[in-house]
Amino acid sequence: MSLLDSTHTEQTSARVPGGIGEPVARREDLRLVEGQSAYLGDLRFPGLAEAVFVRSPHAHARITAISADRARALPGVLAVVTGAELAEWVSPWRIAPDIAGLHPMSAPPLATGTVRFHGDPVAIVVARDRYLAEDAAELVEVTYEPLPAALDLSESLAGTAPLVDETLPSNVLCDQSHVNGNPAEVLATAAHVLRISFSQQRQAHAPLEPRGCVAVWDRAGRRLTVHTGTQVPAPYRTAIAGRLGVPEHQVRVVCPDVGGSFGQKLVAYREDAAVAALARRLGHPVRWREDRRENLVSALHAREDEVDLEVAFTAEGVVRAVRARLRSDFGAYAYFPGNYMLQVIGMMIPGPYRFQDFEYDLKVLLSNKCPAGPYRAPMAMCTWVTEGMMDAVARAVGKDPVEVRRLNLLEESELPYQSAAGQVYTDITPTRTFERGIEAFGYERERAEQARERAEGRLVGIGVASVIEPTTYGSAFYKLAGIPGSGHEAALVRIAPTGVVSVSTGLMGTGQGYETMLAQVVADGLGVPPETVDVLLGDTDVPPYGMGSRGSRGATAGGGVALLAARDLRDKILRIAAHRLDTEPAELSVADGRIVRAGEPAGLTVRDIAAIAYLDPVSLPPGVEPGLEVLRAFDPPPMTFSNSVHLCRAEVLPDTGTVRISRYVVAEDAGQLINPMLAEGQLHGALALGIAGTLQEHVVYSPAGLNLTDSFRDYPFLALDEMVERLELVHCGTPNQRIPGGMKGMSEGGVMGGIAALTLAVQDALGVPVDRLPLTGERICLLLDRTNNPDR
Amino acid sequence: MTTTDHPAPADERDLTCTVNGAPVQLRVPVRRLLSDVLRDDLDLTALQVGCEDGVCGACTVLLDGEAVRACTMLAVQADGHDVVTLEGLRDDPFASEVKRAFSQAHALQCGFCTSGMITTLLACHNAGCDSPDEALHELSGNLCRCTGYLNIRRAVRGLWQEGEDPR
Repeated sequence: MSLLDSTHTEQTSARVPGGIGEPVARREDLRLVEGQSAYLGDLRFPGLAEAVFVRSPHAHARITAISADRARALPGVLAVVTGAELAEWVSPWRIAPDIAGLHPMSAPPLATGTVRFHGDPVAIVVARDRYLAEDAAELVEVTYEPLPAALDLSESLAGTAPLVDETLPSNVLCDQSHVNGNPAEVLATAAHVLRISFSQQRQAHAPLEPRGCVAVWDRAGRRLTVHTGTQVPAPYRTAIAGRLGVPEHQVRVVCPDVGGSFGQKLVAYREDAAVAALARRLGHPVRWREDRRENLVSALHAREDEVDLEVAFTAEGVVRAVRARLRSDFGAYAYFPGNYMLQVIGMMIPGPYRFQDFEYDLKVLLSNKCPAGPYRAPMAMCTWVTEGMMDAVARAVGKDPVEVRRLNLLEESELPYQSAAGQVYTDITPTRTFERGIEAFGYERERAEQARERAEGRLVGIGVASVIEPTTYGSAFYKLAGIPGSGHEAALVRIAPTGVVSVSTGLMGTGQGYETMLAQVVADGLGVPPETVDVLLGDTDVPPYGMGSRGSRGATAGGGVALLAARDLRDKILRIAAHRLDTEPAELSVADGRIVRAGEPAGLTVRDIAAIAYLDPVSLPPGVEPGLEVLRAFDPPPMTFSNSVHLCRAEVLPDTGTVRISRYVVAEDAGQLINPMLAEGQLHGALALGIAGTLQEHVVYSPAGLNLTDSFRDYPFLALDEMVERLELVHCGTPNQRIPGGMKGMSEGGVMGGIAALTLAVQDALGVPVDRLPLTGERICLLLDRTNNPDR
Repeated sequence: MTTTDHPAPADERDLTCTVNGAPVQLRVPVRRLLSDVLRDDLDLTALQVGCEDGVCGACTVLLDGEAVRACTMLAVQADGHDVVTLEGLRDDPFASEVKRAFSQAHALQCGFCTSGMITTLLACHNAGCDSPDEALHELSGNLCRCTGYLNIRRAVRGLWQEGEDPR
């Protein structure tokens, strides 16, 4: 399935068996395939009580009365707490970064006074048993006075929609712009200008395991332990301690196995804070296991974005200037700064192309819908926008889409290159990877075949999409964007007196295989077998404070810092060994846990060195401290990039509007891969989300603002028989000079390229512009109608 | 129809069945789901509950050898039947092959769907399924959000076509 491009794949200097670059099987699998995993619901706690939330059945309403008396009277019910009561114990979730054009926003712990979306939590019920808690929740009587709801972006832009947050002047939460060069003048004077629209539908992360937590308050130790599957244990701890007003040292966060996240388990939710507050108040462990309906209605949504674009270009097809207008439906509350996701779409519209005259303005709008948050590749739409623009330009100048891309594509010799959005591209291969993909696809042959099939009346199309995938997001990115927080990661690598190695970082895996990946990295850096490396993640009592898992930073920030720490520890081992052997450290190395001199075992093992370091410190060289522990932190560059090209051939079946993907090729430069098998798995998963997001997944609200897609029966998750039959993958890994180990990050590009290449293939097949997703059978039949009856 | 024919939801009934080969006798509320009894009363936590709607397949167990969704069955419906969960398949040779194949092909990421995938494939195997396409058709009712299914297909093709390169 994968054709390794040996000319471009970095080899680490000395291969460590099972180290960096090896496709080793995952250590996580041992427990997962045996059913011995421990997801949140598998944990056992004596005296456990269960929490259930009462949620709003309206999109927007005033709460005029709540009566919980009947619920409280039910035997086995421990507590029913409303938003107004909880507000006394939990502070609001406040997002108020100092960002020009962004309004501060607060969310009460639970709704008080008004509810702002269908699913907004109103009260929490705690009972001895889940069934009882559900019974009691039904007995909580809430009287609502329905209000008109803000559901339409254009009404919110025009200022005619009802106000979502009464403390704000309008529904425009964020209004920002960026300009580079003089796009206005170029657009005003250009001979060729096109206007193109792109609209992407609201989607849900839908991890197979919904959200949840178990909060345990230890009265004697005055300590709160929250068991929850979060991507970011340390920031989660800070957040939950702050919300509860508990000193941070009194809070511990422990992550069990996590059944997927995709960006959803990235914050301490309002529900989490409520559960923690109740556990503390009641002195009982309290568990909340969200059901699927809650997850689809009230967790986070994403991707409801629109882009209107103007492009000026030459008669040859060279893009000269671009103006983009970005709009996003952010939902009812801000869990993140409003500019967080949409800004990255604007930032990445230049893609791998050379144009410099560029501007965008973005408006993020509140609505009476579920809050939005980052979903694996929150910027995914940018690739469709940029590549859709290239196809439109190609059509306008009568050239092949690939020919027009070649005219605009950056060459490797032009790097480092500052894009029109101010991003500095280094260590990417836009042209080389593009040409490798075109070659692997057999582009000219495929076009000839397509012409033959079209002559037979078949609706076959080809889509090409170049992806520049921003990953890792260093602290300088957050600072520039005005978003509080850091992009660093930290790692602690330790060798115990008996020679046992362990690594811990702030990362927390939700299926990526970090335990395997980090063991490979540390084994490589130290020169020990990977199976001797313990990986300790997800318990805030253990790892140093790191920023966790997000933005494809696991391998780069997490792997990178673990490699730094392991290499430092190896250097200390070699200093001790050199002193012992009366030689210089440079004469020695570590391989397979042994000290090696001139390729031969030097008669010492890492375990021997550990024994000296801990148990015989007087034998250490002068100035060397006892013990073998290294703590390192690493702040990656403002942005790290990998790049790829996706090529898709798809056929539309006119009777049903069904899309059949008949060929899919990806050429990708993700730098040094730590474990190629895991990297390919990430690409598969990302591509599946891209395909599902293009063809089917759609959160639908009724005209009254009720979520109509609240189960897997209605929210069409991609099934096995709906996935592309085969993926042809070409690795073009050029190392990243700015990340230890040469990694680049790569878990989101598959979504970006997948949406773009598939949409453009369908557009090519239909022969009419596609400006709106998803491309369901129904929608394609409507578009076909337009193809066949252009005057209608 | 009289109300006496229909117990109130919290009414209890006796449940007698075998679970993983051992006899089980429990007093359970009639409304209690099989998935909850297996997971929370019997501590058989390999099966997972992903949708509570019978769609995702993470809760698949074997009922008299056939794959069923434990999240849409009442526990009392298992009365008199034989229930097998992943825990009961530790010594099953085909289940062991599936586990090995899934790990080798990297056919799982978060693992939440894996128990249901294995039990579904086992039911399929026990029913005499002899082609990978048929096995994959059966498995199309089990959802996975992480893997994009390509490696799951590879694992299944390998299991049903020994010796052939599944790619």
